[in-house]
Amino acid sequence: MIFIKNIKEFLLKSFPVIFLYILSFHNLEGASQFPNFTLFSFNLSMIVIYFYILKYPDYLGIGHIFLAGLINDVVVGTPLGSSSLSYLAMCFFTTYLRHVTLRPKMSSEWFTFIPAIFFSNLVFFMIINNFSNLSFYYVELLRNSFFTFLFFPIFYFIFHKVQMKPKQD
Amino acid sequence: MSDSRDDFVIAFRYSLLKKGAKQKFSLFFLILFSILIITLDKLSSPPMNFVRSTLNDFVYRVSYVAGTPGKLITYLVLKTKEHLYIYNDNKFLREEINLLKKKQFEASFLKTQNEYLKSALDFEKIKANKNQTIRVAKVMTDQISPYLKSLLINKGTKNGIVKGMTVFSKNYLIGTVIETNYYSSRVLLITDLNSKIPAIVQDTDINVILSGNGSKSDFILEYLPEDFLLEPNKIIYTSGKDGFLKTGMPVAETYLDEKNKIKVKSLTDPQQALIVHITRGEFKN
Repeated sequence: MIFIKNIKEFLLKSFPVIFLYILSFHNLEGASQFPNFTLFSFNLSMIVIYFYILKYPDYLGIGHIFLAGLINDVVVGTPLGSSSLSYLAMCFFTTYLRHVTLRPKMSSEWFTFIPAIFFSNLVFFMIINNFSNLSFYYVELLRNSFFTFLFFPIFYFIFHKVQMKPKQD
Repeated sequence: MSDSRDDFVIAFRYSLLKKGAKQKFSLFFLILFSILIITLDKLSSPPMNFVRSTLNDFVYRVSYVAGTPGKLITYLVLKTKEHLYIYNDNKFLREEINLLKKKQFEASFLKTQNEYLKSALDFEKIKANKNQTIRVAKVMTDQISPYLKSLLINKGTKNGIVKGMTVFSKNYLIGTVIETNYYSSRVLLITDLNSKIPAIVQDTDINVILSGNGSKSDFILEYLPEDFLLEPNKIIYTSGKDGFLKTGMPVAETYLDEKNKIKVKSLTDPQQALIVHITRGEFKN
């Protein structure tokens, strides 16, 4: 019984890491896998990183984020290290926010997600423009960023519920 | 003023250098490491190419396995849809068979006429290279990210795949190989923004560049003369001016959309390809 409880606790604590790796390997950009929902594609990895670095920094190591970024680069075909740097920029911005915030509120965290996405995407665009010949779809990216921001509260609620479970048990 | 600046500097420095309780690396170290990787990747030295190629092969395989449950769901949805529309499909296919039979007779007549005219003009008969090898590969994953519309296939340099080879699905051109690893390769789809194919429009001598726009039903024809009026139902063929692709391969066709605007769509959906044929130049089944 204790063994099962330990496994359950381990899985719940490792959930963000496992989830981030799955996202990187599968490149699951939200609902973009389903042709009828491509309009609502969003970057789930960004939400996971932002939420966990802000709320539960001990559950998601930045080493894992770096590695997940490398995997994402290989899968997507962007220059090696660009997603990693973009994710780390997001981490840096989020860590800074965590240190300067006195009374965290869901609404304020939601709105500070906008500059976080902007900062992270800016780093990414700069790398793509300077280190590769790739052209990309600005409108699609803008839509993707918008829906990433829009869906944040839903995942905030889900991840919060998931992480509350070990404490309740 | 100076206090607030100090607070900012402290928070900034803390975010970059401080390691958390369970963090093994500082953010600063990892950022520097990322920049180093990007620079090395840009330089593309042989050791870095080898590392990248090995990493690609490993990640593609794992990505293929990780994507299996998602593919299973898509497969089940597609199969259910197919069963639901089977009656209409059957009716449509019967009509199409009749039409194709008619066209086949026309084609055989034109072929005979063409051969006769060629011999009359004393043209050298171009024979297809029998040694040309066609490789069959399986699509491991398809990427529909905002950055690249590409496919990953399970054949690499081990199977004789080289950069620039042409990829076909159901006899239609769908892309070219842009990256090769030992066990896998990446195919840039014709729908991608980075794909530029020299082409000609049916029944004209207009040379254009067929450029992808992210969608199978919205290609861009670049360098089209200003006074040229594009008509619907015209096939766009490769012109072969790039030296890679052979002349006369059908790639796309023009059509009228709901707003009565002439657009260009692909003859096949590259994203739906499961098995592809890779060769140099033209593929004939």
